[in-house]
Amino acid sequence: MRRHKLRSWKAAAVLTLAVAGVSVWAATSLAASGARPVRVAIMTDCKGAFAFGYEYDIGGAQGAFAQFAGGKTKSHAKPSAGMTGIRAGNTPVQIVGYGCGNDTVPLAVTETKRLMEKLNADVEIGPLSGDEAVFTANYAKAHPTKTFIIGTAGSQDPTMQIHPRNMFRYYGDGAQWNAGIGEIAYKKLGWRKAAIIMDDYSFGWTSAAGMIADFCAVGGDIVKRVFPPLNTTDYAPFVRQLPNPNQVDGYFSTVGGTGTSAMLKAFEQAYGKLDPKQWIGNLFFGFLGADKVVAPKLVGAYVGGFGNMPGVHTPAADAYRSFMSKLYPKLPNDDSFVYNYYVGAKALVIGLQKSKGAVGVKLQAALPRALKSPFQISNGGIVKLDSRRQAIQDQYQLQLVKNADGSVSPTVVAYIPNVDQSFGGLFTPSSPPPGRAQPPCKKLATPWQGKIQVVTDGKVTNQVIK
Amino acid sequence: MPDREQVSSWLTWRKWPVLLVVALIAFAFAYVLFITKVQPFGGGNWRTTTFGSAVHDPSSFLKIVLDSLTFASALFIVASGFALIFGLMRTVNMAHGAFYLLAGYIAYEVQQGMTGQGFSIDSSNVNTWEWLVPLLVAAPCIMVVGLVVQQAFLRWTQGQELRQALITIAVSVIVADQIIAHFPRNTSQGQKFGGNAVDLTWPGWTDRFVNLHVGGVQYSLARLVVLAIGVAVGLGLWVWLYRTKTGMKIRAGVDDEKMTSALGINIQVTFAITFAVGCLLAALGAVVWASQSNISSGQDGQWLLNSLVVVIVGGMGSIFGAAAGALLYAFVANFSATYLPTTGSDCCTQYSTIVTFVLIALVLSFRPRGLFGRGA
Amino acid sequence: MSPSTWTRQQQVERTIAALALVVVIVWPTFGSAYWAHQILIETFLFGIAASSLIFLSAYGGMISLAQTALFGITGIILGNLATKGGPGGTSKGLHLGWDPTLALVFAIVATTIIGLIGGAVASRSTGIYFLMITLTYSVIATYTLGQVTKISGFSGIGGINRYTPGWIGDILAHPNRLYYIALGTAIVVYALIRFVVRTPFGISLQGVRDEPVRMSSLGYAVPLHRTLAFGLAAFIAALAGVLYAWWAGQVAPGDVDLPQTISLLIMAVIGGLVRIEGAWVGAFAFILMQNYITSNTHVPLLGFGGTLFGGSFNTIIGIIFLVIVVVSPDGLMGLWGRIFEPRRRSTEGPSIAAPAAEPTK
Repeated sequence: MRRHKLRSWKAAAVLTLAVAGVSVWAATSLAASGARPVRVAIMTDCKGAFAFGYEYDIGGAQGAFAQFAGGKTKSHAKPSAGMTGIRAGNTPVQIVGYGCGNDTVPLAVTETKRLMEKLNADVEIGPLSGDEAVFTANYAKAHPTKTFIIGTAGSQDPTMQIHPRNMFRYYGDGAQWNAGIGEIAYKKLGWRKAAIIMDDYSFGWTSAAGMIADFCAVGGDIVKRVFPPLNTTDYAPFVRQLPNPNQVDGYFSTVGGTGTSAMLKAFEQAYGKLDPKQWIGNLFFGFLGADKVVAPKLVGAYVGGFGNMPGVHTPAADAYRSFMSKLYPKLPNDDSFVYNYYVGAKALVIGLQKSKGAVGVKLQAALPRALKSPFQISNGGIVKLDSRRQAIQDQYQLQLVKNADGSVSPTVVAYIPNVDQSFGGLFTPSSPPPGRAQPPCKKLATPWQGKIQVVTDGKVTNQVIK
Repeated sequence: MPDREQVSSWLTWRKWPVLLVVALIAFAFAYVLFITKVQPFGGGNWRTTTFGSAVHDPSSFLKIVLDSLTFASALFIVASGFALIFGLMRTVNMAHGAFYLLAGYIAYEVQQGMTGQGFSIDSSNVNTWEWLVPLLVAAPCIMVVGLVVQQAFLRWTQGQELRQALITIAVSVIVADQIIAHFPRNTSQGQKFGGNAVDLTWPGWTDRFVNLHVGGVQYSLARLVVLAIGVAVGLGLWVWLYRTKTGMKIRAGVDDEKMTSALGINIQVTFAITFAVGCLLAALGAVVWASQSNISSGQDGQWLLNSLVVVIVGGMGSIFGAAAGALLYAFVANFSATYLPTTGSDCCTQYSTIVTFVLIALVLSFRPRGLFGRGA
Repeated sequence: MSPSTWTRQQQVERTIAALALVVVIVWPTFGSAYWAHQILIETFLFGIAASSLIFLSAYGGMISLAQTALFGITGIILGNLATKGGPGGTSKGLHLGWDPTLALVFAIVATTIIGLIGGAVASRSTGIYFLMITLTYSVIATYTLGQVTKISGFSGIGGINRYTPGWIGDILAHPNRLYYIALGTAIVVYALIRFVVRTPFGISLQGVRDEPVRMSSLGYAVPLHRTLAFGLAAFIAALAGVLYAWWAGQVAPGDVDLPQTISLLIMAVIGGLVRIEGAWVGAFAFILMQNYITSNTHVPLLGFGGTLFGGSFNTIIGIIFLVIVVVSPDGLMGLWGRIFEPRRRSTEGPSIAAPAAEPTK
């Protein structure tokens, strides 16, 4: 027994050493961040349905750092290789890490904590998707000294219902992206009664909310709402709930990502060939790979916008495009996954210049409330933030057209100036966030009603849509 | 477990719940057949549904019955493979869903290679061969993968049910992650969408409606093809298990493994064949359903769950149980999505999935071994 | 018992335990804050959840996949009861705005009751059948949270950590409080399980595990024992759920879905399904891997490093998990035990390597 006891003490000594070693290492790894530059983290997804957004988002943010803060990219092919030498005014900026989410909340929790607490970032640009942003807004509320500039998430809650002081969004939410599409359906396609099929989660609802609000505002009626759950195996029972094609004028869809083509196939098997004049989708009809899978079946259909303007040329937009295509030739710079991160990072650079490198509350006060933005046309190209730090931004509605090479892509057909988050008072901080029954179908006056301008061949005309 | 405890409890506390369930089932039938009133645009009360009663609108009712049958058929194809493996080897193959996913992506790559269209292919550009060859490539691939897993990990752990379940969980985690790393390969413009949703396409001749001459119902031929394949798989399995020598050995193995070995039958070969056929069915199911809807990462978990549910409800390890489970699951899922009341614009059809799983829990609480399970 | 009567294994283990305890108690003062507030808190709380799984497995012979569901149910109940809505409040849930202490007690009690009901339904099943019924529970929980948008919806409920009871105080401004609460709860749970398995109930539970038919004929109510054990495990999982809701600030269907359920099972299996201590060992190993393998993107041959999308993490976790299940089905604790005794002691509960009870025909 005695010998055993002795051995156990030896084991204990070894273990103590090991534990001490680990603690010293862990403590120093934290202390290593001595004289600190401003620490920026870019939160995006690298798994799940939006995994491709990883390089797009990082590239977009770093594009602005390269253009306005002298950043040098390590690789022109792969943005995530990193960027060095960023200085906003006299302040060095260090990108401390890239967050890797999978568009679900639990991983966003882990990754946000890793970026903000382990890597000790002062500012986060991100996240990518709607539910992640809802979490991040709650997180921001609990961490008022950190600053959050939403990446490309489209949910309404972060800047409407939750609206923490330290959170900013320099582009429109998912509902704003669809502003005007309902009026186009009403006036150009003559829809009066329509049904809507939407993904049963916050982005699906927010995106649908924009369509419903806009369509009902001009006098249209949404007669049926159908909500297939995410990852539905068989869409047949859900499309059966939609009224027959002869009972309604058309269908809106915000079924996204993995479900779009499965839902449309189920529809064809229930009611026959798709009629592009009877379908309006949100961005899931034209972006995120849908231009290859879904769009070819729907040439001529109108598609809700994404805050971007493919095919429209203005000096500001073209300058942005040419800079980005030199920096990261492989990135589709017209894609809002790139663009939204770009404007967020641009705002950060301006804010840091003004705050002289101070972070926290000073940076939040210094972040611009009006920003010159490449895809903005009205106000001389300046996007303004409202009192809850949400952008009032121009929107562009799209149509799927066949290109000379046979591919199909969305092209801008309508310009809607200065779209704000409230849709003429329908959405307020005390209204429930978009949901299955929210918003109700109501006739009301949106600021852009009757002012939607026709865009032809990439030029905004003075003609309004009648 | 026909012990004293249960015999006595049958007389006391089990009587009322059973009556209650029978009454509920009777009500559900009466509701769908006669009680509901049509309210296609939502709103109303407990009696209003999208279609109204079957008597009022027989053609919608018939279409939903056919939807359920065809979905059940796809469920059966995949789940019968799972049931076969469990029935003989008592291995819960938690990698069944991952094999499904892998088969779907392999078939997609082959079809893209043959038609060279890139992503979306119109079904008029696909002939029967361009659908069959992907199947004939994907199925052996999955059989080989399955055999490797079985020989490397499951052969020597035979009889340790939980350990085998854990091993196949590990396999499924690895396979699913590697699929995201490598599929889909057919990408454009340097964009890569790891594990993104892609479509397999049915051959062109399926893209039409068939007049059933019953209530004027026109029904999709593609879905009827799914039904036909399911029925063929069922018949094939029956013939194989009940009319051939290998099938006899398998059934003998199911009944008494030790005795079968003692009779000089090489049970290991039988195990290997069974496992391979189980994987083959996962692959067939994947090609069929990826053509019917699509294939994307995350569906591995969905189809593992689908197989589990079908097999649990039907009774583990029996092919008839799998058929019964598939039918029950599909009918409840489809009918609750279409015949739950519409009392407002946000109630109640979207709760169909919950209804489905609560039903399954109910089945299990009365028959822990499932509908066709032995014992209980 | 004095140290001189301990076996060698006990001596070594108790020394390590005492040292580890000292280290974790002083850690927030001397160690890295990230380790304290991320890795160690997570280890404590997921260890508690895993310990409920291991308790059922080691002493009840039941492998439950419902523990994550119970964990999430507690969080959702707490979130609905405690949070407040309105402008600037959380955007999802019922926003009942109860007193946080009351909400806390209610959430734990409700989860325990749900556990007892679920346990009663599943109590007649064993082995792989029990595993599947509990998997069904976890699926029901995932869909209920995802689809009943009034209580949660796909994005779940956030901002729960802003509504902690007054006697705990603000855990956001003082994260060390949550650290010590999690540590204290973990110790209490460990002691509770050790105590329960020595009570007459615990001993007859082990009898039910080994010889259900014999116990039944001796007059023991077999299903009742299983039900009560499941209820206790639900209570323990509920404690972990509360800690998680406070730590993460949110609970969503993604916290209870199939991958998360499997993650908890992996933690328990890595630790070893035979000893309670394994829960924290497994959770620690898993969370270390999660934090440090994710950032390592340069492992050749497996399809990551070069490509983006190989969540290198899952492949490596899968391989480690596979190796552990193949080499040592009793996990790290099983490996550890082998150092001391070539033959396993039968009193420590059945190994998953042993053939599971034959289904009764």
